[in-house]
This record gives sequence, C-alpha cells and structure tokens, in this order.
Amino acid sequence: MSEEDKNAAKMDDVQTAAVAISTTIIVFFVIYWAIQIDSVRDLLNMAYG
Amino acid sequence: MSTTSATTSGSYTKTITVVTLVLLILAFSFSSLRRDTWLQLYEFFLWMETTPFGVIGKTWGAVFAIVEAFHLLAMALLGGAVVVADARLMGWIFADIPAREILDKTHKVFVAGLIVVLATGIFMACGVAGKIYWLPVFWYKMLALATGIFFVFFIRRPLLRRDLNEIRPIVVKLVAISSMLVWVTVAATGRWIGFAGS
Repeated sequence: MSEEDKNAAKMDDVQTAAVAISTTIIVFFVIYWAIQIDSVRDLLNMAYG
Repeated sequence: MSTTSATTSGSYTKTITVVTLVLLILAFSFSSLRRDTWLQLYEFFLWMETTPFGVIGKTWGAVFAIVEAFHLLAMALLGGAVVVADARLMGWIFADIPAREILDKTHKVFVAGLIVVLATGIFMACGVAGKIYWLPVFWYKMLALATGIFFVFFIRRPLLRRDLNEIRPIVVKLVAISSMLVWVTVAATGRWIGFAGS
C-alpha cells in the first residue's frame, strides 16, 4: 500500500467515523429534546387545559 | 483473516471504535448494569460532599456563587468558540476568513474554556452532590459532556486538521450541526440542574 493510499484510507476512516457519530448524536439529542418538549406541553395542558 | 481484510479493518480503526462504543453504551443503557452502577455511585456522591470542596460549597454560598460565575463565563467562552467555528463550517459567518485560521484559533479558546468548566464544575458538583445524584438531567448532562469531549478530540479535531477541501461538504456540515447540538445540550441541561429538584 503506497503512502497516498494509506492517507486516502485514513481519510475515509475518519470521515466514516464522523458520519456515524454525528448521525448518532443528532438522532439521540433530537429524540431527547422532542420528549422534553412534549412533556412540557403535557404539563401545560394539565395546568391550563 | 486474509491480508486484504486485515488491511481493510486496520484502516477503519476509528469507525470500528465509534460503532463499538455506541453499541456498548446502548447495551449499558438497556441493561440492569446501568441501575446497578448508579446505586454503587451513591457512596461516592456522599463522599464528594465531605471533601473540602463539598464542605466549602455547602457552607459558603458566596464562594459557590463566585465559582459558578467563572463556570458560566467559561461556558460562554467554550460556547462562543463552538458557535464561531461551527457557523464558519456551515458558511454562515466570516466567509472571507480562511476556515483553517478560525478553527485553529477557536480550538485554543475551546480548550481553555473546557479546562475551567471542568475544574469549576467538579467544585460545584461536590457542593450539591446529594442533590444532583437524584436528578436524571444531571446524568444526561454528563452523557452529553462525555460525548462532546470524545467527539471533539477523537473525531472533529482529527478530521478538521486535514485539508478541508478533501473532506466531503456534507460530512463537514454534519459535524458542525452535531457539534452545536451536543454543546447546546451540555449548556441547557447544566442550567436545568439549577432549576431542578430544589
């Protein structure tokens, strides 16, 4: 494997890892905040109808 | 294992590490191990309150308030560095300044802010350890903080240290959005602790 190929493989690795972790973060925290907002709406409904 | 597959798996070390870590965290979250670990940590949190930091934090409200002020200022510094760097990556601001220059300078500010945030955060946690132990939002903050630190030093920085023109634009934008999301969550859950369980 040439030095150029190694660099390209490393670049692919770090980009794939970045996509994997970024997607996980976005999915997890969007769900987390959606649940929090929903629970606030429920509380407001219970308080004020 | 053949030479080709060994070379392929060897060159995807970061991806394999990330996927394994995510799967391990998921397995931990949905198993009884999470509750067992939480129960075992109770003694540790009680001990935190008896340390000099815990005693000072609980006894002198003024000291706690001053440390908290530095915590918030450092958080503002860290947040500012994140917003400026990520907004530049998204192409929203400072488009006339090279992204490399902004990324390098904001990273130094970020690291300084993070060190102060962690130091003051540990002091504050000792003072209110008995309270935060019972707050789910505190554990979500710790999860977000650990994710953020791992993300910055293991993924974001190594990726963005390379030639930005070689990185796919969609990857850059994904990294910028997730970075902002994770640090906004750290800040928001941190403030939430102040309003919860009192």
